[in-house]
Amino acid sequence: MKRTLILHDLSQNDAELFLPRDPVKYSSFAASPPVRHCTGCFGCWVKTPGRCVINDRGADFAALMARHDEVVFWSRLVFGGLSPDVKAVLDRSIGFVLPFFRALNAETHHVKRYDMTPDFQYIFYGDMTRQEKETAQKLAAANALNLGAERCAVSFFPSVRESAAALRAPI
Amino acid sequence: MKIVIVSGSPKGQGSASEKIAAALQSRLAPAADCAALHAAKHNREEIMAALAGCGALILVFPLYVDGIPSHLLRLLDETRSAIADAAPGLTVYCVVNNGFFEARQNALALELTRNFCDSSGLKWGQGLGVGAGGMIHAARVGHGPMKNLGKALDALAENILRGQTGEDRFAEPNFPKFLYNMIAHMSWRSQARKHGLKAGELRRGL
Ligand SMILES: Cc1cc2nc3c(=O)[nH]c(=O)nc-3n(C[C@H](O)[C@H](O)[C@H](O)COP(=O)(O)O)c2cc1C
Repeated sequence: MKRTLILHDLSQNDAELFLPRDPVKYSSFAASPPVRHCTGCFGCWVKTPGRCVINDRGADFAALMARHDEVVFWSRLVFGGLSPDVKAVLDRSIGFVLPFFRALNAETHHVKRYDMTPDFQYIFYGDMTRQEKETAQKLAAANALNLGAERCAVSFFPSVRESAAALRAPI
Repeated sequence: MKIVIVSGSPKGQGSASEKIAAALQSRLAPAADCAALHAAKHNREEIMAALAGCGALILVFPLYVDGIPSHLLRLLDETRSAIADAAPGLTVYCVVNNGFFEARQNALALELTRNFCDSSGLKWGQGLGVGAGGMIHAARVGHGPMKNLGKALDALAENILRGQTGEDRFAEPNFPKFLYNMIAHMSWRSQARKHGLKAGELRRGL
């Protein structure tokens, strides 16, 4: 059975209303209130491989990704990318891949740490311009390439309420 | 003209961003009143006070997961229109450096920053992507492998001082990519050894 990990920046109220309740298929990770931000030390690569050295719940996310078939990034769209809270978790999770380089499409990317890589799904909500949506499409594809995900889907919604429907659609 | 450089590297010291910011400041300072601040050290009030009446803001930051580091992103998200209010007519320039050799991988972070300008009513000036940030301390900016970077910063500084806009530019070291990659791999292994990890432990899963 497919297991999905949902990283989201919903308010507590919205999370209660809109997160799926099936604990066998879905786990969720609240990006708000924010975890501490990455300090750029690379400890997750050379000191405690696979895990951020900052000791708060943000350190858990990279290993959780490796245990799911799909990761959903459910985020307010900010300038065509993830919101600061969701980005803080992702920045802390680069231990999901190895520091080593490999060439993909004539570009440098990272070697995978785990054999299996989850599919990515980006669900963006909020006010947005056409340009921001365009940036988000490119960003999701770049993230998937860099973190080794083979499949990646992106969708946009005006509000959290409307975006909740995207979780039920198969990617 | 008053110019503010905000560095967005969360590293305490020795960041590539800091070195780029200093090189840019030395090119601007003779002609302008140029202050350098850090998004991770200075608080919102200090940064907003520095920006009051300022003509150009230069954001200098590392590429994080193809985007803007979260602490800088938070600052930009929370200050949007306040910046335009504090400094009407401000032009934003941006220098992003990354760990991979290819400078073009910074294009998306420049695009995100341009979108920030659009949504905040600020004028976008120009972006510069700098590849192989891990090499920045190999030479003085403008010399040896950092020659291209020196030229790109000269041109950017000129545009900033004239208040001009320009196409995004990209600079890579005057150095072979395969050697850069090889040195990077050796460096990851040696750092892991220093932390007491044995060969192979660096690759383990959790
Ligand atoms: C959390 C994190 C994410 C990163 N993501 C990328 C990336 O997507 N692409 C890339 O080329 N380098 C990436 N890097 C490498 C940095 O951009 C590179 O080390 C840069 O030179 C650091 O600049 P600084 O010294 O100014 O902080 C990442 C580094 C960290 C710590």
